[in-house]
Amino acid sequence: MDIWNQLVQGFVTAGTPINLLWCLLGCTIGTAVGVLPGIGPATAVAMLLPITLKVEPTASMIFFAGIYYGAMYGGSTTSILLNTPGESGSMVTAMEGNKMAKAGRAGAALATSAIGSFVAGTIATVLVTFFAPAVATYAIQLGPPEYFLLMVLAFCTVSAVLGKSTLRGLTALFVGLAMGLVGIDQISGQARYTAGVPELLDGLEVVLIAVGLFAVSEALYNVMYEGKTVETENPMSTVHMTKDEWKRSWPAWLRATAIGFPFGTIPAGGSEIPTFLSYATEKKLSNHKEEFGTVGAIEGVAGPEAANNAAITATLIPLLTLGIPTSNTTAILLGAFQNYGIQPGPQLFDKNSALVWALIASLYIGNVMLLILNLPLIGMWVKLLKIPKSYLYAGILIFATVGVYGMRQSAFDLVLLYAIGLLGVVMRRYDFPTAPVVVGMILGPLAEAQMRNALSIGEGKWGVFVERPASLFLVLVVAAVLVLPRLMKMRKAAKARG
Amino acid sequence: MTMKLPQTLVGVGTLAGGVMFVVGALTIKSDAGYSGVGPNFLPWVVGVALLAAGAFLIYEARSGGYREMEEPSGAETSHWPGFAWVSVGILANAALITSIGFILSCALCFVLAVRGFKSAEGRLDLSPRAWVVDALIGAAIAAPVYWMFTQLLAINLPGLTSTGWL
Repeated sequence: MDIWNQLVQGFVTAGTPINLLWCLLGCTIGTAVGVLPGIGPATAVAMLLPITLKVEPTASMIFFAGIYYGAMYGGSTTSILLNTPGESGSMVTAMEGNKMAKAGRAGAALATSAIGSFVAGTIATVLVTFFAPAVATYAIQLGPPEYFLLMVLAFCTVSAVLGKSTLRGLTALFVGLAMGLVGIDQISGQARYTAGVPELLDGLEVVLIAVGLFAVSEALYNVMYEGKTVETENPMSTVHMTKDEWKRSWPAWLRATAIGFPFGTIPAGGSEIPTFLSYATEKKLSNHKEEFGTVGAIEGVAGPEAANNAAITATLIPLLTLGIPTSNTTAILLGAFQNYGIQPGPQLFDKNSALVWALIASLYIGNVMLLILNLPLIGMWVKLLKIPKSYLYAGILIFATVGVYGMRQSAFDLVLLYAIGLLGVVMRRYDFPTAPVVVGMILGPLAEAQMRNALSIGEGKWGVFVERPASLFLVLVVAAVLVLPRLMKMRKAAKARG
Repeated sequence: MTMKLPQTLVGVGTLAGGVMFVVGALTIKSDAGYSGVGPNFLPWVVGVALLAAGAFLIYEARSGGYREMEEPSGAETSHWPGFAWVSVGILANAALITSIGFILSCALCFVLAVRGFKSAEGRLDLSPRAWVVDALIGAAIAAPVYWMFTQLLAINLPGLTSTGWL
């Protein structure tokens, strides 16, 4: 079979010593940033984007992907041992995991999340292996109208559906789109919003926005508001699961994979929804309901952690086959591809098949590495939690400088970085989501180009977006995504009133 | 009904951004070609959307506050001294990086930022010993990063000397 040959070829590329080293380095850094509060995979990848200037694409994509899913392994460690989640996707793990750790079962919780992550990650990788080429084959038939609508769908889900307030989500999205407008227009070559500053002709750097919004704002927010917040650490116990705990864990892993994977493939962004769904499912099905919320139920850790990893791995499908990012980190990965002049999309599997298959093969390898990094070597990561907060955040600022300065060698960018950091503090304080900003900024220019191409094809008529069955279908999906949650809310409210 | 001043200001800021983008959109030529929409189309959409968002935010802020707000984590009031330390650290870094080099400039930023975080925790230590220790730690983080980028990856970062080591 064709897929097999290509996958084997991918393993050959990913298995060279240098690429294995990049994979290991990525997984290690990923676990570390997952463990450390205050810095996540999106920030880490953004800070390291300057390496795209020198390192060849396959190696750096393997490296970045390692950071991306490595962080999901590491995040659970922090959620279980501290009272703060290391990653937003680990929020649910924190609920039961923390209870288990307080009851002296930290080891079992850590084991089920690491093994669950491995099981889900590997199954999801197998699914990516088979589905991604199929989606790519289908996606080749899509034209500019369909692409534009897919991007609109991504905008809607990431801004209007995920957050609690549609208004604040949309505000964030348009701020991101506004940032994306700065620079030279792709189609007409006209400069827009550059205010005569030559540095702005190239547009705003992704690194700058991401690092400012995540790293610098996190540091500023922390110094302003979290100085007195005290973190308690739970006692560690040996990493081991009893026979009964295995028996309760594995069905949860599998169910969670089934829940998480589909959520990752659709442009619904992030891993928060599937983790919550998995948690609710496990709570409903468990024979040990009394343990939930009291001493901690192992299913409540096993499920969400697996769902999380399945979803994260699945987000690679829309990224690689359609070029549509559905989360902060995939948006920045798209930026990394663009730095190489590679545009992810259906043609990627033809034009850069060596890269794609090496990347997919590296996912298999990386999951094994992460299992080893996170089970026998867990003690090493726990020590990271002992770094004083002042040194951690001050250190993050050094890395932020490298990332931003290394990209363009401009001290002006560092001042801009500070300004974006301030914007991030305001957004966090007033509960504006940040993902729409990053997705809007990166996807905005692409969506605009697709829209104008589509309208050129339709000779200026907007009907082009509803004439083809595929695009009409997407218009309906976008409408449903926007309308259905509201209708459900209204029905609920009506029911509550009686 | 309470009115929330900071929230109103956030709305005003959004509104101002919208005005900026609409004014900018006026100066962009609409060279539409076949498509009927030119390079000024999205700028108009974004500008008008920001105006609308700003207006709605102000309305929400003045009619009881933003809807469905999650309480922000941490303290109720801002710790300004800490904020000042960290801000000075970042801006000093921006001002000095090209003249005193990456390592020294980042070490300085590190020291100032650590002062800020310690003051936020209520244990600000301004003794010379603490300054020196923190500066050394900062340099110990910045130096390997600098070497990795300049020596291994051949990415330009400014140095005090042109040796690539300091």
